[in-house]
Amino acid sequence: MLKAKSSLGVIFFPAYDWAISPTHPEREERLLYTQDQFREEGLFDIEGISEHRPLFATDQDIMRAHFCFPSVDAICTESHRISAGGAIQAARLVLEQETRRAFALVRPPGHHAMKVVHGNRGFCNINIEAVMVEWIREHYGRKRIAIVDTDCHHGDGTQDIYWHDPDVLFISIHQDGRTLYPGSGFPEENGGPKALGRTINIPLPPRTSDQGYLYALEEVVLPILAAFKPDLVINSAGQDNHYSDPITNMKFSAQGYAQLNERLKPDIAVLEGGYSIKGALPYVNLGICLAMAGCDYSAVREPDFDPVALREEPDTMEYIKQLCGQLTDNYFRPKPGAFEKQGEYFIRERKIYYDTDGILEKQREELKDCDQCRGLRLIKSSSSHLLPCLGVELPIDCCPACEREAYEQFNRKNDDYLVVQLLDQKNKQFRYRPKR
Amino acid sequence: MRIGIDIGGTHTDGVLIDGTRLVAAAKTPTNHDHLLESISQILHLILAGQDPTGISTLNLSTTLTTNAIITGTTDPVGMLVVGGPGIAPENYRIGNHFNLIPGSLDHLGTETARLDTDRLEQVITGCCDQGVKHFAVVAKFSPRNPIHENQMAEQLGNRADFVSTGHLISGQLNFGRRIHTAYYNSAVARSFRNFSTALTASLRGFALKAEVNILKADGGTMPLARALEAPVQSIFSGPAASVMGILATTPVSADVLMLDIGGTTTDIALFAAGQPLLEREGIAIDGHPTLVRAIHVESIGIGGDSLIYINDSNVQTGPQRLGPCLAKGGTAPTLMDALNVLGLANFGEVGQSRDGLETLAALHGRKGRQLAKEAVETAVNTISTKIEELIALVNSKPVYTIAEILEDREINPKKIIVIGGPAAVFKELLASRLGMEVKVPPLHGVANAIGAALTRSTSHLILTADTTKGKLSVPMLGIFRPIPRSFNLETAVEEAKTLLIADLEQAGISIPASEIQITQADTFNMVEGSYTSGKNIRVVAQVQPAVVARLDENAALVAIAARL
Repeated sequence: MLKAKSSLGVIFFPAYDWAISPTHPEREERLLYTQDQFREEGLFDIEGISEHRPLFATDQDIMRAHFCFPSVDAICTESHRISAGGAIQAARLVLEQETRRAFALVRPPGHHAMKVVHGNRGFCNINIEAVMVEWIREHYGRKRIAIVDTDCHHGDGTQDIYWHDPDVLFISIHQDGRTLYPGSGFPEENGGPKALGRTINIPLPPRTSDQGYLYALEEVVLPILAAFKPDLVINSAGQDNHYSDPITNMKFSAQGYAQLNERLKPDIAVLEGGYSIKGALPYVNLGICLAMAGCDYSAVREPDFDPVALREEPDTMEYIKQLCGQLTDNYFRPKPGAFEKQGEYFIRERKIYYDTDGILEKQREELKDCDQCRGLRLIKSSSSHLLPCLGVELPIDCCPACEREAYEQFNRKNDDYLVVQLLDQKNKQFRYRPKR
Repeated sequence: MRIGIDIGGTHTDGVLIDGTRLVAAAKTPTNHDHLLESISQILHLILAGQDPTGISTLNLSTTLTTNAIITGTTDPVGMLVVGGPGIAPENYRIGNHFNLIPGSLDHLGTETARLDTDRLEQVITGCCDQGVKHFAVVAKFSPRNPIHENQMAEQLGNRADFVSTGHLISGQLNFGRRIHTAYYNSAVARSFRNFSTALTASLRGFALKAEVNILKADGGTMPLARALEAPVQSIFSGPAASVMGILATTPVSADVLMLDIGGTTTDIALFAAGQPLLEREGIAIDGHPTLVRAIHVESIGIGGDSLIYINDSNVQTGPQRLGPCLAKGGTAPTLMDALNVLGLANFGEVGQSRDGLETLAALHGRKGRQLAKEAVETAVNTISTKIEELIALVNSKPVYTIAEILEDREINPKKIIVIGGPAAVFKELLASRLGMEVKVPPLHGVANAIGAALTRSTSHLILTADTTKGKLSVPMLGIFRPIPRSFNLETAVEEAKTLLIADLEQAGISIPASEIQITQADTFNMVEGSYTSGKNIRVVAQVQPAVVARLDENAALVAIAARL
């Protein structure tokens, strides 16, 4: 009988009773054929591979990662709490050493959900990796965490959440933003003023196949990980980079994805996108599970897999080599960014569009340039649907001055904000200002 | 009247039941070389003074197939296996004639590589040259499309005496388990047929015209004729007989635990709202997981004959077993002796128990009574821990819908029913350790045979429909036929019920539609591009294990006639 070399817990939660809409890619059917494949292959009969049910993310779990305006309940339904709870379960299994690794095969996904959430962006409401990472730090203390996002779309939500956090290294390998939603994820996006080099973007050209992906992994991701020395490696394992995916243009295969995971050796993987539900997901997910468990995956392949058609074109490979040649510098020698500053605050002003819900958010972020700590952060956010709200964030190493200032902001009596939320990582206080 | 016979590892038990009244009960040692002899002895005992023509049903739980596998008296099986991409089928190699035939199907049942019939022919010829007469044909994803399995069976033709076909054995997806199940089915087919022929002749000798059913591990029965096609289903029916014995003697409607404490082991089963819980996929045979449906029974090495010893100053009880206890002339102290010393039991020569424990205790500078106390505590702790683990396992089983996560009811048994030899002795001990009500029902000496007698047929089927492909599949019935696009979940559920009832009727069993349980009924929109192309429908229908009658508790107990 087959035996896993490193034990793997799989949280398989297909949410068979939830869809964004009946024909939306994010619908009930999405993981049906993956489950069929798992069952027929007898994945859970392999000694050392176990199946687990998700936990349920509470308001506190979500408020550690997000400013939810106007409220947590307005942003997420049970499905989002369970999906995030699946990621939490994966983390719990690994940190309690019940299994060596874990894979949260859950839906709906989360990597487009940013720090502030007003609704659904790119099929995501709350960022399930971020909820998980904050849960880990809440229960197991401060950790160095690397998130490697291999979804075909730029993980703009996760990037945004950890933009200012030097403890979290975020690396996204995706299809070039000039050719795909959300249109971001360029090498110059390199982290905030206090976390420069902790955000790395690898925008691959359309039609990149296994060879190109694995080249980027070997030449950029692995050397940076070796230098960062994370306590935990997380793979945001979106599968829309597959050659059969209907909404993207890459040529990645199940074999390629399995090899990527074998070399990356993530402690935790979390499913993100991936909408070729019959032609890709059953094989890619099987490949990822076997690779994470250290089992032989050499015979896992799609029925229509054609190595000739999927071979990397020389031009593409040349482009990737050129691109990757410069990217490690973004970690080791990041260029000082041109950050706008007003007084002692770094300022970012942005408009963010929530495609699924048709919401336009207007946001102003103020990060205090403090020499004692990472600095208090204020996010003023309003939208086409909502009056201005305020998020007050205290970093984990918050100094007394920033702490005092943050609580003054939070406790003010006569400002005009509709909702004010406190996210105090230092004192672990996550709450809304009581309504008057 | 109904007869129930349970052939166990040590004893063969039998009962004769008239309605809700136990008419006769008997016990005899099992003769493993001649099971039929044990059956005959039981029939002699329980039929004494009875009119055999008044007996309608004889239900038999037998260790025949289990023994054939353990003792290796099975037939060689030519395994014809079609794997294709994925986990290498080599991992499921079983027996001495395991052959891979090129070909493949995908998860939708689409043929992605044709069956290599030339290679198949070579393999069949090779097997035949080696005198192999029993075969099993199994293809990955055959429940979605039986084409390769059917082609292989056809090509075997009359060169095989017996063929097990994967999709007919189970409609459930699990390639490795399907391979093992098909293998064992073919491996025990001849032993089972020989036994069946001899049994039929023997029953004629008793002038019995009863219909004969064979017990399955899922707590139900199957007619003898069906058992000849699927003999593997008769394996490990013993624990199921005990579980059904509880249902037949004690009203169970809540979450309840069952303990069957024997000489060597204690079996633990769990009832959820009165229903015995089944294994998720099936039991393992000789270390090989299969698709044989079974009541989930956890077995631990604690019983009356469990050896007591001291290891690094820790008192251990079991899992080793060393013959009878000292009180019955054994050579080493056992759990039963400890119970004797503590005055909890009064079994055999209590003095010998006391002397033996005192001797062992003295070797380690202890007192006999203290040793006995620790030995019993260890045993009760081991059992209790296993019970707690089982409850935790059941409550953490995976679920796949939001509704199940939100509404799932936790299984929380407050009551234990204990049967088996030392049952009464453990009553108080378990009650205080687990804080549950402990009940020891009457008749526990032959509860397994009562369970066998009173249990009814079980059956299940798995139906899938794909309206995009316009295809209905009911693998276990060999049904793969076209359906209109309008086919929906409601029609599918009705179809599943109708087919299950019809199949049971064909086997001579009549079950009203109201007794058919639908355990899964899902429909999924299938989308191509942004259009709904059809529906993917999955339905599972079953007749769950149940007893046809409950024994009248107030009826006078009959003496157990024994020929020991």
